[in-house]
Amino acid sequence: MSLSLHRLLAIISKEWKDSIKNPQILLMAGIPILMAILGKGRAQTAEGAMDVFTMPLMVAIVTVGAFAQALMISEEKEKNTLRALMLSPASPMEVLLGKSVMTAAFTVIVIFICTQITGIPDLHFGFLILFVLMMLIISMAFGTVIGLISRTASETSIVGLPVLLIFIFGPMFGSGIDSAVVVKIVEMLPSYQFMLGLSDHVNGGGLEEVKGSLLNLVIWTAAAIVLTFIIYRSKSFDK
Amino acid sequence: MSARKPDSFNLKMTYFIPLTAQFMGDLLCLRGNFGKLAVSLRKATKRQWVTAMESIIEVENLQKSYKNKQALKNVSFRVRRGEIFGFLGPSGSGKTTTVKILTSQLQHTSGRVSVFGADPLRNRRAGFLSRIGVLTDNSGMYDRLTVYDNLKLFCGLYGVPDKEIGPVLASVNMAADQSTPVQKLSKGMKQRITLARAILHRPEILFLDEPTSALDPVNMGQIHDTLRRLNREGTTIFLTTHNMQEAETLCDRVAFLNNGEISALDTPLELRLQHGDRTITVTTSRGKEIVSQDEAGARRISELMARGELLAIHSNEPTLGDIFVKITGRGLE
Ligand SMILES: Nc1ncnc2c1ncn2[C@@H]1O[C@H](COP(=O)(O)OP(=O)(O)OP(=O)(O)O)[C@@H](O)[C@H]1O
Ligand SMILES: [Mg+2]
Repeated sequence: MSLSLHRLLAIISKEWKDSIKNPQILLMAGIPILMAILGKGRAQTAEGAMDVFTMPLMVAIVTVGAFAQALMISEEKEKNTLRALMLSPASPMEVLLGKSVMTAAFTVIVIFICTQITGIPDLHFGFLILFVLMMLIISMAFGTVIGLISRTASETSIVGLPVLLIFIFGPMFGSGIDSAVVVKIVEMLPSYQFMLGLSDHVNGGGLEEVKGSLLNLVIWTAAAIVLTFIIYRSKSFDK
Repeated sequence: MSARKPDSFNLKMTYFIPLTAQFMGDLLCLRGNFGKLAVSLRKATKRQWVTAMESIIEVENLQKSYKNKQALKNVSFRVRRGEIFGFLGPSGSGKTTTVKILTSQLQHTSGRVSVFGADPLRNRRAGFLSRIGVLTDNSGMYDRLTVYDNLKLFCGLYGVPDKEIGPVLASVNMAADQSTPVQKLSKGMKQRITLARAILHRPEILFLDEPTSALDPVNMGQIHDTLRRLNREGTTIFLTTHNMQEAETLCDRVAFLNNGEISALDTPLELRLQHGDRTITVTTSRGKEIVSQDEAGARRISELMARGELLAIHSNEPTLGDIFVKITGRGLE
Protein backbone atom coordinates (compact mmCIF):
# COMPACT_ATOMS: atom_id res chain seq x y z
CA MET A 1 0.00 0.00 0.00
CA SER A 2 1.41 3.36 -0.96
CA LEU A 3 1.04 6.23 1.46
CA SER A 4 1.17 9.77 0.15
CA LEU A 5 2.51 12.41 2.49
CA HIS A 6 0.63 15.06 0.57
CA ARG A 7 -2.71 13.32 1.10
CA LEU A 8 -1.86 12.55 4.73
CA LEU A 9 -1.17 16.23 5.40
CA ALA A 10 -4.43 17.20 3.70
CA ILE A 11 -6.34 14.80 5.98
CA ILE A 12 -4.52 15.91 9.14
CA SER A 13 -5.22 19.55 8.34
CA LYS A 14 -8.91 18.79 7.79
CA GLU A 15 -9.13 16.77 11.05
CA TRP A 16 -7.60 19.64 12.97
CA LYS A 17 -9.98 22.25 11.58
CA ASP A 18 -12.90 19.91 12.18
CA SER A 19 -11.97 18.88 15.74
CA ILE A 20 -11.55 22.36 17.12
CA LYS A 21 -15.08 23.09 15.92
CA ASN A 22 -16.53 19.89 17.37
CA PRO A 23 -18.13 20.58 20.79
CA GLN A 24 -18.08 16.90 21.76
CA ILE A 25 -14.33 16.66 21.26
CA LEU A 26 -13.74 19.97 23.02
CA LEU A 27 -15.77 18.68 25.97
CA MET A 28 -13.62 15.57 26.13
CA ALA A 29 -10.50 17.69 26.08
CA GLY A 30 -11.96 19.94 28.76
CA ILE A 31 -12.69 17.18 31.30
CA PRO A 32 -9.07 16.29 32.21
CA ILE A 33 -8.18 19.98 32.27
CA LEU A 34 -11.07 20.62 34.66
CA MET A 35 -9.87 17.69 36.78
CA ALA A 36 -6.40 19.20 36.93
CA ILE A 37 -7.84 22.53 38.04
CA LEU A 38 -10.09 20.92 40.66
CA GLY A 39 -7.37 18.63 42.00
CA LYS A 40 -4.57 21.18 42.17
CA GLY A 41 -3.41 21.80 45.72
CA ARG A 42 -6.07 19.59 47.31
CA ALA A 43 -3.87 16.62 48.03
CA GLN A 44 -3.01 16.01 51.71
CA THR A 45 -0.68 13.08 51.24
CA ALA A 46 2.14 12.14 48.89
CA GLU A 47 -0.09 9.53 47.25
CA GLY A 48 -2.79 12.12 46.80
CA ALA A 49 -0.31 14.48 45.18
CA MET A 50 0.61 11.73 42.76
CA ASP A 51 -3.06 11.17 41.90
CA VAL A 52 -3.46 14.87 41.20
CA PHE A 53 -0.74 14.49 38.60
CA THR A 54 -1.52 11.10 37.04
CA MET A 55 -5.33 11.06 37.12
CA PRO A 56 -5.88 13.91 34.61
CA LEU A 57 -3.17 12.39 32.41
CA MET A 58 -4.84 9.00 32.39
CA VAL A 59 -8.27 10.50 31.76
CA ALA A 60 -6.89 12.71 28.97
CA ILE A 61 -5.33 9.75 27.24
CA VAL A 62 -8.42 7.57 27.54
CA THR A 63 -11.09 10.15 26.67
CA VAL A 64 -9.26 12.06 23.96
CA GLY A 65 -7.05 9.21 22.73
CA ALA A 66 -9.76 6.57 22.60
CA PHE A 67 -13.05 8.42 22.48
CA ALA A 68 -12.23 11.30 20.18
CA GLN A 69 -10.57 8.84 17.82
CA ALA A 70 -13.66 6.60 17.82
CA LEU A 71 -15.97 9.56 17.34
CA MET A 72 -14.03 10.91 14.38
CA ILE A 73 -14.03 7.54 12.64
CA SER A 74 -17.71 6.75 13.16
CA GLU A 75 -18.80 10.26 12.22
CA GLU A 76 -17.23 9.81 8.78
CA LYS A 77 -19.55 6.87 8.27
CA GLU A 78 -22.64 8.50 9.74
CA LYS A 79 -22.33 11.67 7.65
CA ASN A 80 -21.41 9.79 4.45
CA THR A 81 -18.17 11.71 4.13
CA LEU A 82 -16.23 8.46 4.14
CA ARG A 83 -17.92 7.59 0.84
CA ALA A 84 -16.51 10.74 -0.72
CA LEU A 85 -13.07 10.07 0.73
CA MET A 86 -13.10 6.51 -0.58
CA LEU A 87 -14.05 7.77 -4.05
CA SER A 88 -10.96 9.99 -4.00
CA PRO A 89 -7.43 8.61 -4.24
CA ALA A 90 -7.16 8.58 -0.42
CA SER A 91 -6.71 5.07 1.00
CA PRO A 92 -8.41 3.86 4.19
CA MET A 93 -4.96 3.59 5.78
CA GLU A 94 -4.24 7.24 5.04
CA VAL A 95 -7.56 8.28 6.52
CA LEU A 96 -7.01 6.30 9.74
CA LEU A 97 -3.39 7.40 10.01
CA GLY A 98 -4.35 11.04 9.53
CA LYS A 99 -6.91 10.77 12.31
CA SER A 100 -4.43 9.02 14.59
CA VAL A 101 -1.82 11.72 14.13
CA MET A 102 -4.44 14.34 14.92
CA THR A 103 -5.71 12.46 17.98
CA ALA A 104 -2.20 11.92 19.32
CA ALA A 105 -1.31 15.59 18.85
CA PHE A 106 -4.53 16.69 20.52
CA THR A 107 -3.91 14.37 23.49
CA VAL A 108 -0.36 15.63 23.89
CA ILE A 109 -1.60 19.21 23.93
CA VAL A 110 -4.20 18.40 26.60
CA ILE A 111 -1.57 16.53 28.65
CA PHE A 112 0.76 19.50 28.37
CA ILE A 113 -1.94 21.87 29.63
CA CYS A 114 -2.78 19.51 32.53
CA THR A 115 0.86 19.27 33.62
CA GLN A 116 1.20 23.04 33.46
CA ILE A 117 -1.72 23.29 35.88
CA THR A 118 -0.79 20.51 38.31
CA GLY A 119 2.96 20.80 38.05
CA ILE A 120 5.24 17.86 37.30
CA PRO A 121 6.64 15.77 40.17
CA ASP A 122 10.30 14.89 40.24
CA LEU A 123 10.62 12.12 37.70
CA HIS A 124 12.66 10.86 34.81
CA PHE A 125 11.21 12.26 31.57
CA GLY A 126 12.07 9.14 29.64
CA PHE A 127 9.82 7.13 31.97
CA LEU A 128 6.99 9.61 31.64
CA ILE A 129 7.18 9.65 27.85
CA LEU A 130 7.38 5.86 27.65
CA PHE A 131 4.36 5.39 29.91
CA VAL A 132 2.32 8.07 28.15
CA LEU A 133 3.24 6.67 24.75
CA MET A 134 2.19 3.12 25.57
CA MET A 135 -1.02 4.20 27.26
CA LEU A 136 -1.75 6.41 24.26
CA ILE A 137 -1.20 3.60 21.77
CA ILE A 138 -3.47 1.30 23.79
CA SER A 139 -6.21 3.93 24.02
CA MET A 140 -6.01 4.94 20.37
CA ALA A 141 -6.09 1.30 19.31
CA PHE A 142 -9.26 0.78 21.34
CA GLY A 143 -10.67 4.01 19.97
CA THR A 144 -9.97 2.85 16.42
CA VAL A 145 -11.66 -0.50 17.08
CA ILE A 146 -14.71 1.21 18.61
CA GLY A 147 -14.88 3.63 15.67
CA LEU A 148 -14.60 0.81 13.16
CA ILE A 149 -17.38 -1.31 14.62
CA SER A 150 -19.84 1.54 15.20
CA ARG A 151 -21.62 3.12 12.28
CA THR A 152 -22.79 6.30 13.96
CA ALA A 153 -21.49 8.65 16.62
CA SER A 154 -24.17 7.43 19.02
CA GLU A 155 -23.18 3.81 18.52
CA THR A 156 -19.72 4.90 19.57
CA SER A 157 -21.15 5.75 22.97
CA ILE A 158 -22.86 2.37 23.28
CA VAL A 159 -19.74 0.41 22.39
CA GLY A 160 -17.27 2.72 24.06
CA LEU A 161 -18.95 3.51 27.36
CA PRO A 162 -18.14 0.18 29.06
CA VAL A 163 -14.50 0.49 28.03
CA LEU A 164 -14.36 4.04 29.32
CA LEU A 165 -16.07 3.10 32.59
CA ILE A 166 -13.74 0.20 33.29
CA PHE A 167 -10.55 2.01 32.27
CA ILE A 168 -11.25 5.18 34.23
CA PHE A 169 -13.37 4.15 37.20
CA GLY A 170 -11.51 0.86 37.66
CA PRO A 171 -8.35 2.42 39.07
CA MET A 172 -10.33 5.09 40.94
CA PHE A 173 -12.76 2.97 42.88
CA GLY A 174 -12.27 -0.70 42.01
CA SER A 175 -9.43 -1.15 44.48
CA GLY A 176 -11.62 0.15 47.27
CA ILE A 177 -14.10 -2.69 46.71
CA ASP A 178 -13.67 -5.50 49.21
CA SER A 179 -13.30 -8.33 46.75
CA ALA A 180 -10.10 -10.12 45.81
CA VAL A 181 -11.42 -10.83 42.30
CA VAL A 182 -12.26 -7.21 41.58
CA VAL A 183 -8.88 -6.07 42.87
CA LYS A 184 -7.15 -8.66 40.68
CA ILE A 185 -9.05 -7.48 37.60
CA VAL A 186 -8.38 -3.83 38.35
CA GLU A 187 -4.70 -4.61 38.74
CA MET A 188 -4.66 -5.98 35.22
CA LEU A 189 -5.96 -2.73 33.71
CA PRO A 190 -3.37 -0.70 31.79
CA SER A 191 -4.82 2.50 33.21
CA TYR A 192 -4.19 1.22 36.75
CA GLN A 193 -0.68 0.09 35.91
CA PHE A 194 -0.02 3.41 34.19
CA MET A 195 -0.77 5.29 37.39
CA LEU A 196 0.91 2.70 39.63
CA GLY A 197 4.08 2.62 37.57
CA LEU A 198 4.42 6.40 37.55
CA SER A 199 3.80 6.57 41.32
CA ASP A 200 6.32 3.84 42.03
CA HIS A 201 8.83 5.62 39.89
CA VAL A 202 8.34 8.98 41.60
CA ASN A 203 8.64 7.23 44.96
CA GLY A 204 12.19 6.33 43.99
CA GLY A 205 11.60 3.22 41.92
CA GLY A 206 13.96 2.41 39.07
CA LEU A 207 13.46 0.00 36.24
CA GLU A 208 13.43 -2.93 38.67
CA GLU A 209 10.49 -1.54 40.69
CA VAL A 210 8.30 -0.58 37.73
CA LYS A 211 8.99 -3.54 35.49
CA GLY A 212 5.70 -5.19 36.45
CA SER A 213 3.75 -2.14 35.24
CA LEU A 214 5.94 -1.86 32.18
CA LEU A 215 5.37 -5.50 31.25
CA ASN A 216 1.62 -5.06 31.68
CA LEU A 217 1.62 -2.03 29.38
CA VAL A 218 3.81 -3.73 26.78
CA ILE A 219 1.44 -6.73 26.66
CA TRP A 220 -1.61 -4.46 26.38
CA THR A 221 0.06 -2.41 23.66
CA ALA A 222 0.87 -5.49 21.60
CA ALA A 223 -2.58 -7.01 22.13
CA ALA A 224 -4.34 -3.73 21.26
CA ILE A 225 -2.37 -3.35 18.03
CA VAL A 226 -3.14 -6.93 16.99
CA LEU A 227 -6.84 -6.48 17.82
CA THR A 228 -6.99 -3.26 15.80
CA PHE A 229 -5.40 -4.96 12.84
CA ILE A 230 -7.84 -7.87 12.96
CA ILE A 231 -10.88 -5.60 13.22
CA TYR A 232 -9.53 -3.33 10.48
CA ARG A 233 -9.20 -6.33 8.19
CA SER A 234 -12.64 -7.75 8.89
CA LYS A 235 -14.66 -4.51 8.92
CA SER A 236 -13.72 -3.41 5.40
CA PHE A 237 -13.64 0.28 6.29
CA ASP A 238 -13.64 1.30 2.64
CA LYS A 239 -16.79 -0.41 1.38
CA MET B 1 0.32 2.84 46.52
CA SER B 2 -2.15 5.59 45.92
CA ALA B 3 -4.95 4.02 43.90
CA ARG B 4 -5.40 1.32 46.49
CA LYS B 5 -5.68 3.48 49.58
CA PRO B 6 -8.86 5.15 50.77
CA ASP B 7 -7.11 8.31 52.07
CA SER B 8 -7.38 10.04 48.75
CA PHE B 9 -11.10 9.40 48.65
CA ASN B 10 -11.95 13.07 48.93
CA LEU B 11 -9.80 13.83 45.95
CA LYS B 12 -11.48 11.14 43.90
CA MET B 13 -14.89 12.51 44.76
CA THR B 14 -13.67 15.84 43.37
CA TYR B 15 -12.89 14.10 40.09
CA PHE B 16 -16.14 12.22 40.17
CA ILE B 17 -18.20 15.28 39.24
CA PRO B 18 -16.64 16.15 35.87
CA LEU B 19 -16.36 12.48 34.94
CA THR B 20 -20.00 11.86 35.73
CA ALA B 21 -20.87 14.88 33.62
CA GLN B 22 -18.98 13.33 30.75
CA PHE B 23 -20.65 9.95 31.06
CA MET B 24 -24.06 11.54 31.28
CA GLY B 25 -23.20 13.34 28.06
CA ASP B 26 -22.25 10.06 26.44
CA LEU B 27 -25.39 8.37 27.71
CA LEU B 28 -27.48 11.12 26.17
CA CYS B 29 -25.89 10.27 22.86
CA LEU B 30 -27.11 6.70 22.95
CA ARG B 31 -30.56 7.60 21.60
CA GLY B 32 -31.68 4.01 21.47
CA ASN B 33 -29.55 2.72 18.65
CA PHE B 34 -28.80 -0.64 20.24
CA GLY B 35 -30.08 -2.84 17.45
CA LYS B 36 -27.91 -1.55 14.67
CA LEU B 37 -24.49 -2.91 15.49
CA ALA B 38 -24.22 -5.60 12.87
CA VAL B 39 -21.98 -4.69 9.98
CA SER B 40 -21.98 -6.87 6.92
CA LEU B 41 -18.91 -8.10 5.20
CA ARG B 42 -18.47 -8.29 1.51
CA LYS B 43 -15.95 -10.35 -0.34
CA ALA B 44 -14.90 -9.12 -3.70
CA THR B 45 -14.29 -11.61 -6.41
CA LYS B 46 -12.50 -10.14 -9.33
CA ARG B 47 -12.22 -10.92 -12.98
CA GLN B 48 -10.30 -9.83 -15.97
CA TRP B 49 -10.78 -9.51 -19.68
CA VAL B 50 -9.58 -7.72 -22.73
CA THR B 51 -11.61 -4.91 -24.23
CA ALA B 52 -11.66 -2.71 -27.23
CA MET B 53 -11.17 0.95 -26.32
CA GLU B 54 -13.60 2.82 -28.56
CA SER B 55 -16.24 2.89 -25.83
CA ILE B 56 -15.28 4.42 -22.50
CA ILE B 57 -17.89 2.38 -20.60
CA GLU B 58 -19.02 -1.09 -21.63
CA VAL B 59 -21.64 -3.11 -19.83
CA GLU B 60 -22.76 -6.53 -20.97
CA ASN B 61 -25.43 -8.72 -19.40
CA LEU B 62 -24.94 -7.02 -16.09
CA GLN B 63 -26.83 -8.52 -13.18
CA LYS B 64 -26.88 -7.43 -9.58
CA SER B 65 -28.73 -9.14 -6.78
CA TYR B 66 -28.94 -7.87 -3.24
CA LYS B 67 -29.73 -10.40 -0.54
CA ASN B 68 -33.27 -11.16 -1.65
CA LYS B 69 -33.83 -8.64 -4.43
CA GLN B 70 -32.66 -8.60 -8.00
CA ALA B 71 -31.91 -4.94 -8.72
CA LEU B 72 -30.42 -5.32 -12.22
CA LYS B 73 -31.64 -8.12 -14.45
CA ASN B 74 -29.76 -8.10 -17.72
CA VAL B 75 -28.37 -4.71 -18.55
CA SER B 76 -26.18 -4.01 -21.59
CA PHE B 77 -25.07 -0.65 -22.99
CA ARG B 78 -22.02 1.27 -24.13
CA VAL B 79 -21.06 4.87 -23.50
CA ARG B 80 -18.83 6.58 -26.06
CA ARG B 81 -16.05 8.89 -25.03
CA GLY B 82 -17.27 12.48 -25.04
CA GLU B 83 -21.00 11.94 -24.91
CA ILE B 84 -23.62 12.80 -22.31
CA PHE B 85 -25.40 9.56 -21.57
CA GLY B 86 -28.65 9.60 -19.62
CA PHE B 87 -30.07 6.82 -17.48
CA LEU B 88 -33.75 7.54 -17.12
CA GLY B 89 -35.93 5.53 -14.80
CA PRO B 90 -38.41 5.69 -11.94
CA SER B 91 -37.48 5.28 -8.30
CA GLY B 92 -36.14 1.82 -7.52
CA SER B 93 -35.35 0.94 -11.13
CA GLY B 94 -31.66 0.40 -10.41
CA LYS B 95 -30.01 3.70 -11.42
CA THR B 96 -27.98 4.15 -8.26
CA THR B 97 -27.02 0.49 -8.26
CA THR B 98 -25.60 0.89 -11.78
CA VAL B 99 -23.65 4.03 -10.84
CA LYS B 100 -22.22 2.27 -7.79
CA ILE B 101 -21.04 -0.67 -9.88
CA LEU B 102 -19.50 1.60 -12.54
CA THR B 103 -17.66 3.66 -9.90
CA SER B 104 -16.17 0.67 -8.02
CA GLN B 105 -18.37 1.05 -4.97
CA LEU B 106 -20.22 -2.21 -5.47
CA GLN B 107 -19.40 -5.67 -6.79
CA HIS B 108 -21.79 -6.92 -9.46
CA THR B 109 -23.24 -10.41 -9.41
CA SER B 110 -22.61 -11.43 -13.02
CA GLY B 111 -21.96 -10.02 -16.46
CA ARG B 112 -19.17 -7.80 -17.72
CA VAL B 113 -18.43 -4.23 -16.66
CA SER B 114 -15.60 -2.19 -18.09
CA VAL B 115 -14.67 1.44 -17.55
CA PHE B 116 -11.53 2.74 -19.33
CA GLY B 117 -11.13 -0.82 -20.60
CA ALA B 118 -10.96 -2.56 -17.22
CA ASP B 119 -13.10 -3.72 -14.33
CA PRO B 120 -13.60 -0.70 -12.03
CA LEU B 121 -13.06 -2.68 -8.82
CA ARG B 122 -9.93 -4.27 -10.19
CA ASN B 123 -8.66 -0.92 -11.40
CA ARG B 124 -9.53 0.93 -8.20
CA ARG B 125 -6.07 1.46 -6.81
CA ALA B 126 -4.43 2.02 -10.19
CA GLY B 127 -5.40 5.63 -10.76
CA PHE B 128 -9.02 4.85 -11.64
CA LEU B 129 -10.38 7.08 -8.90
CA SER B 130 -8.49 10.18 -10.11
CA ARG B 131 -10.01 9.74 -13.55
CA ILE B 132 -13.64 9.77 -12.43
CA GLY B 133 -15.76 12.29 -10.59
CA VAL B 134 -18.85 11.12 -8.71
CA LEU B 135 -21.87 12.95 -7.39
CA THR B 136 -24.30 10.70 -5.52
CA ASP B 137 -27.41 11.61 -3.62
CA ASN B 138 -25.76 10.63 -0.35
CA SER B 139 -22.20 11.86 -0.59
CA GLY B 140 -21.60 13.97 2.48
CA MET B 141 -19.70 17.16 3.21
CA TYR B 142 -18.00 18.11 6.46
CA ASP B 143 -20.76 20.16 8.10
CA ARG B 144 -18.57 22.14 10.48
CA LEU B 145 -16.03 23.14 7.83
CA THR B 146 -16.48 25.97 5.38
CA VAL B 147 -17.19 25.38 1.71
CA TYR B 148 -13.61 26.41 0.95
CA ASP B 149 -12.06 24.05 3.53
CA ASN B 150 -14.15 21.15 2.26
CA LEU B 151 -12.82 21.67 -1.25
CA LYS B 152 -9.30 22.34 0.02
CA LEU B 153 -9.22 18.83 1.50
CA PHE B 154 -10.06 17.32 -1.86
CA CYS B 155 -7.50 19.55 -3.62
CA GLY B 156 -4.96 17.96 -1.30
CA LEU B 157 -6.23 14.44 -1.99
CA TYR B 158 -6.30 14.83 -5.77
CA GLY B 159 -3.13 16.94 -6.00
CA VAL B 160 -4.98 19.94 -7.44
CA PRO B 161 -3.66 23.45 -6.60
CA ASP B 162 -5.88 25.40 -4.17
CA LYS B 163 -6.25 28.24 -6.67
CA GLU B 164 -8.65 26.04 -8.68
CA ILE B 165 -11.25 26.32 -5.91
CA GLY B 166 -12.41 29.84 -6.85
CA PRO B 167 -13.16 29.15 -10.52
CA VAL B 168 -14.83 25.82 -9.74
CA LEU B 169 -17.09 27.42 -7.15
CA ALA B 170 -17.91 30.19 -9.60
CA SER B 171 -18.94 27.60 -12.20
CA VAL B 172 -21.62 26.27 -9.83
CA ASN B 173 -22.67 29.75 -8.75
CA MET B 174 -21.31 29.37 -5.22
CA ALA B 175 -18.41 31.81 -5.26
CA ALA B 176 -20.08 34.09 -2.72
CA ASP B 177 -20.36 31.35 -0.10
CA GLN B 178 -16.73 30.24 0.13
CA SER B 179 -16.41 30.91 3.83
CA THR B 180 -19.85 29.68 4.91
CA PRO B 181 -19.89 26.51 7.03
CA VAL B 182 -21.60 23.73 5.07
CA GLN B 183 -24.20 23.18 7.79
CA LYS B 184 -25.62 26.64 7.02
CA LEU B 185 -26.24 25.86 3.34
CA SER B 186 -29.56 24.94 1.76
CA LYS B 187 -30.04 21.55 0.14
CA GLY B 188 -29.62 22.93 -3.37
CA MET B 189 -26.47 24.81 -2.35
CA LYS B 190 -25.03 21.60 -0.89
CA GLN B 191 -25.82 19.83 -4.11
CA ARG B 192 -23.93 22.51 -6.02
CA ILE B 193 -20.79 22.27 -3.90
CA THR B 194 -20.96 18.50 -4.12
CA LEU B 195 -20.86 18.96 -7.87
CA ALA B 196 -17.94 21.38 -7.46
CA ARG B 197 -16.10 18.69 -5.52
CA ALA B 198 -16.82 16.11 -8.22
CA ILE B 199 -15.36 18.27 -11.02
CA LEU B 200 -12.47 19.80 -9.05
CA HIS B 201 -9.89 17.44 -10.57
CA ARG B 202 -11.29 17.58 -14.14
CA PRO B 203 -12.26 13.92 -14.38
CA GLU B 204 -12.51 12.10 -17.71
CA ILE B 205 -15.90 10.67 -16.77
CA LEU B 206 -18.35 12.44 -14.52
CA PHE B 207 -20.98 10.24 -12.88
CA LEU B 208 -24.00 12.18 -11.69
CA ASP B 209 -26.73 10.45 -9.72
CA GLU B 210 -29.72 12.80 -9.86
CA PRO B 211 -27.60 15.96 -9.76
CA THR B 212 -30.38 18.51 -9.94
CA SER B 213 -33.11 16.88 -7.85
CA ALA B 214 -33.02 19.66 -5.22
CA LEU B 215 -32.53 22.62 -7.54
CA ASP B 216 -34.81 25.42 -8.66
CA PRO B 217 -35.05 26.11 -12.43
CA VAL B 218 -32.50 28.95 -12.37
CA ASN B 219 -29.82 26.91 -10.64
CA MET B 220 -30.72 23.84 -12.65
CA GLY B 221 -30.17 25.85 -15.81
CA GLN B 222 -26.83 27.06 -14.53
CA ILE B 223 -25.73 23.53 -13.63
CA HIS B 224 -26.79 22.34 -17.08
CA ASP B 225 -24.69 25.07 -18.65
CA THR B 226 -21.72 24.01 -16.53
CA LEU B 227 -22.20 20.38 -17.52
CA ARG B 228 -22.44 21.29 -21.22
CA ARG B 229 -19.27 23.32 -20.94
CA LEU B 230 -17.41 20.46 -19.22
CA ASN B 231 -18.69 18.14 -21.91
CA ARG B 232 -17.44 20.45 -24.67
CA GLU B 233 -14.05 20.40 -22.96
CA GLY B 234 -14.02 16.63 -23.28
CA THR B 235 -15.64 15.22 -20.13
CA THR B 236 -17.86 12.20 -20.70
CA ILE B 237 -20.96 12.46 -18.55
CA PHE B 238 -23.05 9.58 -17.22
CA LEU B 239 -26.18 10.99 -15.68
CA THR B 240 -29.16 9.42 -13.97
CA THR B 241 -32.40 11.27 -13.56
CA HIS B 242 -36.10 10.82 -13.37
CA ASN B 243 -36.55 14.26 -14.85
CA MET B 244 -37.40 13.69 -18.51
CA GLN B 245 -36.82 17.32 -19.44
CA GLU B 246 -33.33 17.16 -18.04
CA ALA B 247 -32.63 14.05 -20.08
CA GLU B 248 -34.11 15.64 -23.18
CA THR B 249 -32.18 18.92 -23.02
CA LEU B 250 -28.88 17.50 -21.85
CA CYS B 251 -28.33 14.01 -23.14
CA ASP B 252 -26.91 12.83 -26.45
CA ARG B 253 -28.44 9.42 -25.81
CA VAL B 254 -30.77 8.09 -23.16
CA ALA B 255 -31.49 4.61 -21.83
CA PHE B 256 -34.84 3.83 -20.23
CA LEU B 257 -34.38 1.70 -17.15
CA ASN B 258 -37.38 -0.07 -15.75
CA ASN B 259 -37.34 -2.78 -13.09
CA GLY B 260 -33.66 -3.47 -13.60
CA GLU B 261 -33.90 -3.76 -17.39
CA ILE B 262 -33.21 -1.39 -20.28
CA SER B 263 -36.34 -1.09 -22.37
CA ALA B 264 -35.12 1.48 -24.90
CA LEU B 265 -31.86 3.21 -25.81
CA ASP B 266 -31.43 5.96 -28.39
CA THR B 267 -31.09 9.70 -28.95
CA PRO B 268 -34.01 11.70 -27.55
CA LEU B 269 -34.94 12.84 -31.07
CA GLU B 270 -34.91 9.32 -32.50
CA LEU B 271 -37.05 8.06 -29.63
CA ARG B 272 -39.58 10.81 -30.21
CA LEU B 273 -39.71 10.13 -33.94
CA GLN B 274 -40.09 6.40 -33.43
CA HIS B 275 -42.83 6.67 -30.89
CA GLY B 276 -44.74 9.70 -32.11
CA ASP B 277 -48.06 9.09 -33.91
CA ARG B 278 -47.01 11.73 -36.46
CA THR B 279 -50.13 13.86 -36.12
CA ILE B 280 -50.29 17.65 -36.22
CA THR B 281 -52.24 19.91 -33.89
CA VAL B 282 -53.57 23.09 -35.46
CA THR B 283 -55.04 25.90 -33.40
CA THR B 284 -57.68 28.21 -34.80
CA SER B 285 -59.96 30.76 -33.15
CA ARG B 286 -62.50 27.90 -32.72
CA GLY B 287 -60.06 25.73 -30.79
CA LYS B 288 -57.63 22.89 -31.35
CA GLU B 289 -57.88 20.33 -34.08
CA ILE B 290 -55.74 17.27 -34.69
CA VAL B 291 -54.95 16.36 -38.27
CA SER B 292 -53.08 13.36 -39.61
CA GLN B 293 -50.03 13.56 -41.85
CA ASP B 294 -51.62 12.55 -45.12
CA GLU B 295 -53.38 14.15 -48.07
CA ALA B 296 -56.52 14.86 -46.11
CA GLY B 297 -54.48 16.52 -43.39
CA ALA B 298 -52.50 18.57 -45.89
CA ARG B 299 -55.73 19.72 -47.54
CA ARG B 300 -57.23 20.71 -44.21
CA ILE B 301 -54.17 22.74 -43.22
CA SER B 302 -53.90 24.57 -46.55
CA GLU B 303 -57.59 25.29 -46.33
CA LEU B 304 -57.15 26.90 -42.92
CA MET B 305 -54.08 28.77 -44.12
CA ALA B 306 -55.86 30.06 -47.20
CA ARG B 307 -58.65 31.40 -45.03
CA GLY B 308 -56.13 32.97 -42.68
CA GLU B 309 -57.62 31.13 -39.68
CA LEU B 310 -54.47 29.34 -38.57
CA LEU B 311 -53.19 30.62 -35.20
CA ALA B 312 -50.60 27.93 -34.35
CA ILE B 313 -49.32 24.63 -35.67
CA HIS B 314 -47.44 21.91 -33.73
CA SER B 315 -46.16 18.49 -34.58
CA ASN B 316 -47.22 16.02 -31.89
CA GLU B 317 -43.90 14.52 -30.86
CA PRO B 318 -44.33 12.84 -27.53
CA THR B 319 -42.11 13.82 -24.61
CA LEU B 320 -39.65 11.27 -23.27
CA GLY B 321 -42.02 10.88 -20.35
CA ASP B 322 -44.87 9.93 -22.69
CA ILE B 323 -42.65 7.45 -24.48
CA PHE B 324 -41.53 5.96 -21.19
CA VAL B 325 -45.16 5.37 -20.22
CA LYS B 326 -45.90 3.92 -23.65
CA ILE B 327 -42.98 1.49 -23.52
CA THR B 328 -43.04 0.43 -19.88
CA GLY B 329 -46.63 1.02 -18.89
CA ARG B 330 -45.59 3.14 -15.92
CA GLY B 331 -44.68 6.75 -15.17
CA LEU B 332 -41.33 8.20 -14.21
CA GLU B 333 -42.12 9.81 -10.89
N1 LIG C 1 -28.21 -2.17 -0.19
C1 LIG C 1 -29.34 -2.70 -0.69
N2 LIG C 1 -29.83 -3.86 -0.20
C2 LIG C 1 -30.94 -4.40 -0.71
N3 LIG C 1 -31.65 -3.89 -1.73
C3 LIG C 1 -31.23 -2.75 -2.28
C4 LIG C 1 -30.05 -2.09 -1.79
N4 LIG C 1 -29.86 -0.97 -2.53
C5 LIG C 1 -30.87 -0.93 -3.42
N5 LIG C 1 -31.69 -1.99 -3.28
C6 LIG C 1 -32.88 -2.29 -4.11
O1 LIG C 1 -32.50 -2.32 -5.46
C7 LIG C 1 -33.46 -1.70 -6.27
C8 LIG C 1 -32.80 -0.60 -7.10
O2 LIG C 1 -32.37 0.42 -6.22
P1 LIG C 1 -31.60 1.73 -6.73
O3 LIG C 1 -31.18 2.48 -5.53
O4 LIG C 1 -30.54 1.33 -7.68
O5 LIG C 1 -32.78 2.50 -7.47
P2 LIG C 1 -32.77 3.97 -8.11
O6 LIG C 1 -33.16 3.80 -9.54
O7 LIG C 1 -31.51 4.65 -7.84
O8 LIG C 1 -33.96 4.67 -7.34
P3 LIG C 1 -34.12 6.22 -6.87
O9 LIG C 1 -34.60 6.99 -8.06
O10 LIG C 1 -35.15 6.16 -5.81
O11 LIG C 1 -32.79 6.69 -6.36
C9 LIG C 1 -34.53 -1.18 -5.35
O12 LIG C 1 -35.62 -2.07 -5.40
C10 LIG C 1 -33.93 -1.20 -3.99
O13 LIG C 1 -34.88 -1.54 -3.02
MG1 LIG D 1 -30.97 6.39 -6.75
